[in-house]
Amino acid sequence: MVNTGNDDRLYITIWGWLLGLLVAGVLVFTLHLATIPLLVFIFAVAAIKAVLVVRNYMHLKAEHLLIYAIAGIPVLLILGMALVLIPDIVFRQ
Amino acid sequence: MSSTAGVLTQSSPHNQGIQSVPLGKIAIWWFLASEIMVFGGLIASYVLLRVHNGGWAGQAAHVRWQLGTLNTAVLLTSSLTIALALSASRQDKRRRTAVFLGLTVLLGVVFLCVKGVEYTGELREGFTPASGLFWSFYYGMTGLHALHVTGGIVANLIFLVMAVRGDLWTGKQRRLEYAGLYWHFVDVVWIFLFPLLYLS
Repeated sequence: MVNTGNDDRLYITIWGWLLGLLVAGVLVFTLHLATIPLLVFIFAVAAIKAVLVVRNYMHLKAEHLLIYAIAGIPVLLILGMALVLIPDIVFRQ
Repeated sequence: MSSTAGVLTQSSPHNQGIQSVPLGKIAIWWFLASEIMVFGGLIASYVLLRVHNGGWAGQAAHVRWQLGTLNTAVLLTSSLTIALALSASRQDKRRRTAVFLGLTVLLGVVFLCVKGVEYTGELREGFTPASGLFWSFYYGMTGLHALHVTGGIVANLIFLVMAVRGDLWTGKQRRLEYAGLYWHFVDVVWIFLFPLLYLS
């Protein structure tokens, strides 16, 4: 992979966005909103930050589909496991 | 098209054959996939049990979100520095590579120190891993994450020594990329642990 100085500018820009999202999430937390909107916001912010890191710092956007599969299948497995366990754990009396 | 250590390189990675992916890259992503299962399982268990046991909010209120925020900023910055180190290594800027690797190691140590301060404060207030299910998860997940940070620091320190001694420039830069992938993964895990344990 040929690397140019433009990559450095991208990395710093992404870092700025990551810090900005961090500040936004913490600010919203300090507002003491209702639980559901707060949780939706802070985890949406976390997901966006994770995507920024994975796509840009881990260069997943330029990787082969095999890498997507290796990284993505465990995530799907975990989500599936959690969904399957919801009736037994969350709604257990 | 060129061949290096069994890897055929072409212009577009998405439509290349699997043979175009370096074995080391497949190996590190395979390792990260296993780590996703470990941390993903812990996080999923925490979420499910917390939704079932609604009373954790009282326990969770005792964690110090200010220190958690600081640690998140530290780790995000360390992801930047290791990305810049890799970029510098690819441009054969050796001194710059060593500087950014050193900063990455330093930020990792800062993260562990802040975590130590948190643990000390919480233990002094009487919150131990046996204090309840929330604290068991808190110490378990952040402790396991801290162990991973420690491992990453050791790996980055080794690459720093290699960079300073000149050993990194004998065709081993790809290994720095793999170490960077691991470090970014550790950062991504914390990106989810922080709101889970500190903000919710």
